[in-house]
Amino acid sequence: MQAAQTRDIPVLEFPKLTALKTERWLVGVHLIVAFSALSLGLLMGPFQAFRRAPALQWDIPIFSYYYQALTLHGVLNALVFTTFFIVGFSYFVTQRTLQRPLASIRVAWAAFVIMLVGLVLAAFAIVTGQANVLYTFYPPMVAHPTFYLGLTLVIVASWMAGGDIFFTYAAWKRDHKGETVPLAVYATLTNFIMWITATVGVAVEVLFLMLPLSLGLVQTTDPQVARIMFWFFGHPLVYFWLLPAYTAWYTMMPKQNGVRLFSDGLGRVAFLMIMLFSIPIGVHHLFTDPGVSEVAKLFHALLTFVVALPSLLTAFNIAATLEWAGRKRGATGLIGWVFKQQWGNPVMAGMITGMLIFIVGGLTGIMNASFTLNLALHNTTWVPGHFHTTLAGGVFLTYMGIFYWLMPFLSGRKLFAPRLATAQVYLWFIGMLTFGLAMGRAGIEGAPRRTDAGAAAYISEAAVPWLNLTAVAGVILLISSILLYIVILGTLFASKKQEKADAEPPIDTKAPADDPSPSIFENWRIWMVVIVISNLVMWGPVLIQALDFTKGFIIFGFHPNAPIPLK
Amino acid sequence: MHIDKFERYWIVAASLMLGAFFAALIASTIVFGVHLPDPAGRINPADAEDWTNQGFATPGLRDMGDNHYEAHIVAQMWLYNTGDVVDGVPTVRVPQGAVVTFNVASKDVTHGFYIEYHNVNIMVIPGQISRATVTFNRPGTYRIICHEYCGNGHHNMNAQVIVEPSA
Ligand code: HEM
Ligand SMILES: [Cu+2]
Ligand SMILES: [Cu+2]
Repeated sequence: MQAAQTRDIPVLEFPKLTALKTERWLVGVHLIVAFSALSLGLLMGPFQAFRRAPALQWDIPIFSYYYQALTLHGVLNALVFTTFFIVGFSYFVTQRTLQRPLASIRVAWAAFVIMLVGLVLAAFAIVTGQANVLYTFYPPMVAHPTFYLGLTLVIVASWMAGGDIFFTYAAWKRDHKGETVPLAVYATLTNFIMWITATVGVAVEVLFLMLPLSLGLVQTTDPQVARIMFWFFGHPLVYFWLLPAYTAWYTMMPKQNGVRLFSDGLGRVAFLMIMLFSIPIGVHHLFTDPGVSEVAKLFHALLTFVVALPSLLTAFNIAATLEWAGRKRGATGLIGWVFKQQWGNPVMAGMITGMLIFIVGGLTGIMNASFTLNLALHNTTWVPGHFHTTLAGGVFLTYMGIFYWLMPFLSGRKLFAPRLATAQVYLWFIGMLTFGLAMGRAGIEGAPRRTDAGAAAYISEAAVPWLNLTAVAGVILLISSILLYIVILGTLFASKKQEKADAEPPIDTKAPADDPSPSIFENWRIWMVVIVISNLVMWGPVLIQALDFTKGFIIFGFHPNAPIPLK
Repeated sequence: MHIDKFERYWIVAASLMLGAFFAALIASTIVFGVHLPDPAGRINPADAEDWTNQGFATPGLRDMGDNHYEAHIVAQMWLYNTGDVVDGVPTVRVPQGAVVTFNVASKDVTHGFYIEYHNVNIMVIPGQISRATVTFNRPGTYRIICHEYCGNGHHNMNAQVIVEPSA
């Protein structure tokens, strides 16, 4: 009965120009938690750079144990900030695009509370110094049980969110028989299908290997098997961060420029390909693992090159759309359209600088994925150099672009000091490009990542100037981060109420009628079968080779602070 | 679903580019013989006998003749045991041109094994033997670095390869 009532809500009741109260609060609290967690995680970043620069070697304030700071930075930025932001944004996109409330607002709130409890548990373990294991928590290093419990709760809650979104879509589908779902929701669905599949790997790892070991229920573990399960999840994780950014480029940026998307169909192809190909390639994170065969590594490298294609499709589609926008504003010649973009608007500046820096991230990613070339790069500072141009670059800048219209819409207030917001974006862009370059070069000169370089005795001479340059980038990024929080606090507490007319969010509520996409794109059953089979083929042999129940090995757990096995 | 002419060209060009990249990788392995780590056996860190039988009870370098060497190295929190120490730094000393096969095993947690400016980059995972073979053509001192976080003393975990010029 409940469900039927929700379904019968007339479409027109969903307000177009103002935020529903439930919507405002639900999406709003996700963003508040996301940016609160980020404020602490982000602050660690520049101080890590200062600590690692031979010219400074400063202690990190408060979290002076370097690896505690690094765990905070990785967990809060890459796991907590992203997940809260993405879940909130996905709720928003689903409701606005389908113009109906979520299937169950109660489930959404329950998921939020569970996720928040998870965050508090994990943060407790890290802040009290009982989880100095970094955000990848490789066994046999062991953290406090609340760390694993907290992460499990965040994952379970994200499944509930994904389920809620799927049921909302199913209800829409019942009311719109035979219609193609708008691209933004199509993208959101692919993202959650991929995410739910992938998180099974890490959930099994945490529940069956890490938690029992940490609780002392078992005394042995298998680190190679754990790494395989972690990276079953780890690569789709990076796409889980990326797809909301792509969603904004594909479905919001055109509207913000008064044009339509160049090709809706190829946009769908891109999202579909990423959903299918982002999991059976994760061995590219295990290229240097001794327990995975070289043949498996080669196959995963091959499919990694296949999953580069949807991003190259995206590059064309988005650039072509921006070209239309530029020409519509009167641009002429071959590249005149480049200059006719809204470079001064923080929303567009965030997205376009995000696209530009993502080109660097994509190319360096192809280099990491290049099989034998990985030997020169793995676990050097090259790798954080790479993903600060993807995650902390393209993804983060696009999130800022989204945030600078979403926050005013939800709060009903004008964006505070838009020029500061624009400055924040460009400083971040320049800072991250510098940071990526410097970390990349230091890595080629042999500087290891995840290392308290300020205390190490062995930094290679050739890496020194580059590590010092990361500190310069750290200063620029610190200023940019401060500006970000000035804009947030200013908008929430010191800004004028917004006129309703300029509050309409840039959402496309219809798939293009003149260029329909094949209905097979939305045939989720087929794609689920493809996902299951391809991953059995690509991961099955890897896991079986690593699993070995016959040997009876005992591999004890260890705390990071002492070489004493936990018997 | 309509696909623009230029977009079609782009898809073909992008696919060709990725195909060319992949062909280069295959060539790096087949033509130039650069290899990624492949399973080299297991070892039980808690079993002293297994440890001895597989050569890790007495770490060090063995001359296998014909310019080939085999090194057994133990990685543990927070040092490498290479069986030789020079100025307080664990050391592997080889002549120029030596072809060295490194066998590394961990006593405790996951470590890394990375040699500067050479194609040696491998994880050292408890339960697994990590094997890498490399030729040292240029004389000099090359740092071996643990590049996976292994606890409090991780940033001090290093060793060196000294390649002595041939007379
Ligand atoms: C103020 C800007 C930032 C600076 C200066 C910064 C700096 C750093 C540095 C120096 C490292 C490497 C430490 C090491 O390997 O020893 C690092 C690692 C990392 N950063 Fe950032 N960062 C920033 C922003 C971000 C953002 C926005 C994200 C994600 C949303 C992020 C995600 C990560 C992750 C996942 C790691 C890897 C942690 C690990 O290896 O365990 N960073 N960051
Ligand atoms: Cu990956
Ligand atoms: Cu280490």
